[in-house]
Amino acid sequence: MGEVLVITSGKGGVGKTTTTANIGAGLAMSGKKVVLVDTDIGLRNLDVVMGLENRIVYDIVDVVREQCRLKQALIKDKRFDGLFLLPAAQTKDKTAVSEEQMRKLCFDLKEEFDFVVVDCPAGIEQGFKNAVAGAERAIVVTTPEVSAVRDADRIIGLLEATGLKDPKLVINRIKPQMVKKGDMMSIEDMIDILAVDLLGVVPDDEFIIVSTNKGEPAVLDKNSLAGVAFRNITKRILGEEVPLLNLEPTTSWFEKLKRFVTRS
Amino acid sequence: MEKNMLDEVIKEDTLLVQKTLRSGQSIKHSGNVVVLGDVNPGAEVIAGGHVIVLGTVRGVVHAGAVGDMTATITAFYLNPTQLRIANLISRPPDGDRPCPDHPETARIADGNLIIEKYQPLK
Repeated sequence: MGEVLVITSGKGGVGKTTTTANIGAGLAMSGKKVVLVDTDIGLRNLDVVMGLENRIVYDIVDVVREQCRLKQALIKDKRFDGLFLLPAAQTKDKTAVSEEQMRKLCFDLKEEFDFVVVDCPAGIEQGFKNAVAGAERAIVVTTPEVSAVRDADRIIGLLEATGLKDPKLVINRIKPQMVKKGDMMSIEDMIDILAVDLLGVVPDDEFIIVSTNKGEPAVLDKNSLAGVAFRNITKRILGEEVPLLNLEPTTSWFEKLKRFVTRS
Repeated sequence: MEKNMLDEVIKEDTLLVQKTLRSGQSIKHSGNVVVLGDVNPGAEVIAGGHVIVLGTVRGVVHAGAVGDMTATITAFYLNPTQLRIANLISRPPDGDRPCPDHPETARIADGNLIIEKYQPLK
């Protein structure tokens, strides 16, 4: 029996879909059987980020309306044998699926898979309620902006009200230089307000834009700092203890030499 | 003043909230309210009597909401969006303001809402 994770945030554009794609690919890299479920009906994106858009035949609405079998709607990933996507419908809206239907769907999926990762839409309406209905664990994504942290706080409250205790936090798109100068909220500031466990911190990385446009999750790239951060996050989901990435701005070899000389 | 407040909290109808109030959450109570946790931005506590927060106030707190001018708001750290006592409303000054690192009490004195360092009873 697998586990159902929901990735949520409240605010849009903070990186839920990117996080879902990368966690999914990361878990699949570790040999787990994973299915990603896009619940953003009407504004689906996860298929694009995964590079699987052109393979969609059936979607989540077809499945819950029993217009196809669950297996028919699952799209196998190009890169990993154990990774599948259940795409959202684009021509319907959030009310096309009910919470009860989602609960049953998650239950059916976790019989087959080790991890069911649900990508939640922005907002707190029906789409959010559907996404969290079948979830057992929640991951809240935020960026170091006051508005995103506000919304994350609201979402954590709503998650707790639906019985999803102890959500984990992913801080996305942090810029260590700006934090150092005091121009950006620090990790400590955010933990202070949200009072939840930190699952990981992902630095702002231009490579993410390239990778989402190409449909190749960043976690696959060894040279991308964000990719390393996502790999660490998946390890932590699997229960490994991994220290936080050192995001200190790297000093040039000249400065290192200068420091070495002044020290001796 | 302080002695009064604590006596009333013990005697009267007091609601104990054992969690952090997050954005969108609201506590309304006719008596006193004691929060064991924070009151985050976007959350509100509305009480007929006193409000004590054993944590940080970042949201809106209204004490004496039915007109009690003697109601007070006490918190470990007062860094609110807005404070209200009876029919008085106040907000922190615009711009950055360091949050004091000691407990504070808000009350009405001479028709103004004032905040002072919390003084424990000797």
